[in-house]
Amino acid sequence: MSQDILFITGVNILMAWSVYIILLSGSLSFANGGFMALGAYAAGVFTMKWGMDFYAALALAGVGTGLVGALVAYPALRTRGVYLILVTVGLSFIIQTLIQNTDYVGGVRGMTGMTGTTNWHVWGLIAIVGAGLFWLSRSHLQRQLDAVREDERVAASLGIDVVYLKVVCFAVGAGLAAIAGGLYSHYMVFINPDHFNIFVSIYVVLYVVLGGVNNVFGPVIGASVMTLLPELVRGLQSYRPLIFGAVIIVLLLVRPNGLLSFRLRTLGASKGGGA
Amino acid sequence: MIAEQIVNGIVLGSMYALVALGYTLVFGVLDKLNFALSELFMLGGFVVIGSVGLGAPIWLAGVLVLVVCGLLGLVVEFVSFRKFTSPDAQVTAALSSLAVGLIMIDLVQKTWGGEPVSVPVPIEWRRANVAFFGMQIQVMKLVILAVTLVLMAVLHWLISRTAMGRNIRAVAESPAFATLLGIDVKRVNQQTFFIASALAGAGGLMFSLRNGIASSDIGFTFGLKALAIMAIGGMGDLRGAVLGGVLVGVIESLAIQFGFGKLGEVIVWALMILVLLARPGGLFGGAHTTEQRA
Repeated sequence: MSQDILFITGVNILMAWSVYIILLSGSLSFANGGFMALGAYAAGVFTMKWGMDFYAALALAGVGTGLVGALVAYPALRTRGVYLILVTVGLSFIIQTLIQNTDYVGGVRGMTGMTGTTNWHVWGLIAIVGAGLFWLSRSHLQRQLDAVREDERVAASLGIDVVYLKVVCFAVGAGLAAIAGGLYSHYMVFINPDHFNIFVSIYVVLYVVLGGVNNVFGPVIGASVMTLLPELVRGLQSYRPLIFGAVIIVLLLVRPNGLLSFRLRTLGASKGGGA
Repeated sequence: MIAEQIVNGIVLGSMYALVALGYTLVFGVLDKLNFALSELFMLGGFVVIGSVGLGAPIWLAGVLVLVVCGLLGLVVEFVSFRKFTSPDAQVTAALSSLAVGLIMIDLVQKTWGGEPVSVPVPIEWRRANVAFFGMQIQVMKLVILAVTLVLMAVLHWLISRTAMGRNIRAVAESPAFATLLGIDVKRVNQQTFFIASALAGAGGLMFSLRNGIASSDIGFTFGLKALAIMAIGGMGDLRGAVLGGVLVGVIESLAIQFGFGKLGEVIVWALMILVLLARPGGLFGGAHTTEQRA
């Protein structure tokens, strides 16, 4: 397996997790391709034009995009369900078009010259984020998030700050997508706005749907299978969208919660607290 | 010049409006998003190419677009909406129809390739101009406007004057009560999907006639804007979809005229987000009477 495939798989896993983190609080985001673009370009500008250190650039791009995410999320999360899908689709388009029209980062021609990412960075980050998410899945916070996701009003009545949790999840997800974007741009050397079109956002959401939305491993499986399978099986590559679409449709009909839909035993459950 | 751009905008907007009408019909009746409509819009142009390629005259190709896209709409209903009836399944149905859309794009690219394909319309059709209040306007644009108006009039008649329309309005109001009154909700859903998909296909037909090409990526670049227009006009509001379409078409044309170029594309999405946040019922009114709400 070549280095590139390993790298793309890693980035896709990070992106899938970024959608998963937002989904933890019950919001589905189609804007993560846009946040990835923001991160990719911001990190590129920091290292190329401002001469910043690679790690500092990544961190700053992540935190900055996270703040942008929080700023956007605060009003946007007043909408729910399909309305939120519309708002995040809109965000994706707005970010892409704004980048296309910013000459400072090369507009439609793109930006070039970023280097520095290795597979170690990507898979190291996956290990860190994975450990964090696994810890989260066994923590008290996860149960608050479950409550928010299942029924906001009940959660609020239990004294959980629903808006705060949703905004934080959205910001963290946006930040992770941005860091994945920063890693991506510094591996690919050349990026242009078309690398981050609406399809990226859609595909990442579908990875998560494919893998399953209610445990940490689902998104990993979804992203890896859909990235690796076409590469490994010869002849499958040109049928990727077709097979992917068909699998999603069948899966939604048969198992609406996704392939790997089981709940990790939470702290309460392991103490025998029941469901 | 500005007057000409406004005419261009109205023509563009009428094509948006056709697709937006499809979105808003489905949303009005089922409270769900049918993402596949953008791709049926894209498919409209390719159905023309395919049927003319098989030897059909152009008027028959136009009729075929409505029929083929309508029938594909029934397939979408069966695959992505039939099973997901609960209000919780909103997002599931949206994702499923999105996947259907991805398959449609891929099949078109497998058949016609990824590059834009030219539509076999006589070049004189697209060249012909008429003088109109001192402006030169392509005949094709007037044809597009006329066809759009006819389709909208037919839709209005179907919804407000026929038994089918009455059933559709009843299901939009409340599926449970419609069932109690003996209305076959499944059948009404199918009728809604057929009409909505045929409208989207007609929009795609107009688009390909105006530009002379059909391209597999216009579903996501132009078709999805209809989604925003539906939200701007009010989800489920037929009149709002038409007004919203024309408004956005004119704004985009004027943005090009005044040198904003592609930045004009931001306007529609920004406007949609503002409307959803500030006036979720839509820009025009929002309180639906039974007449306006499909």
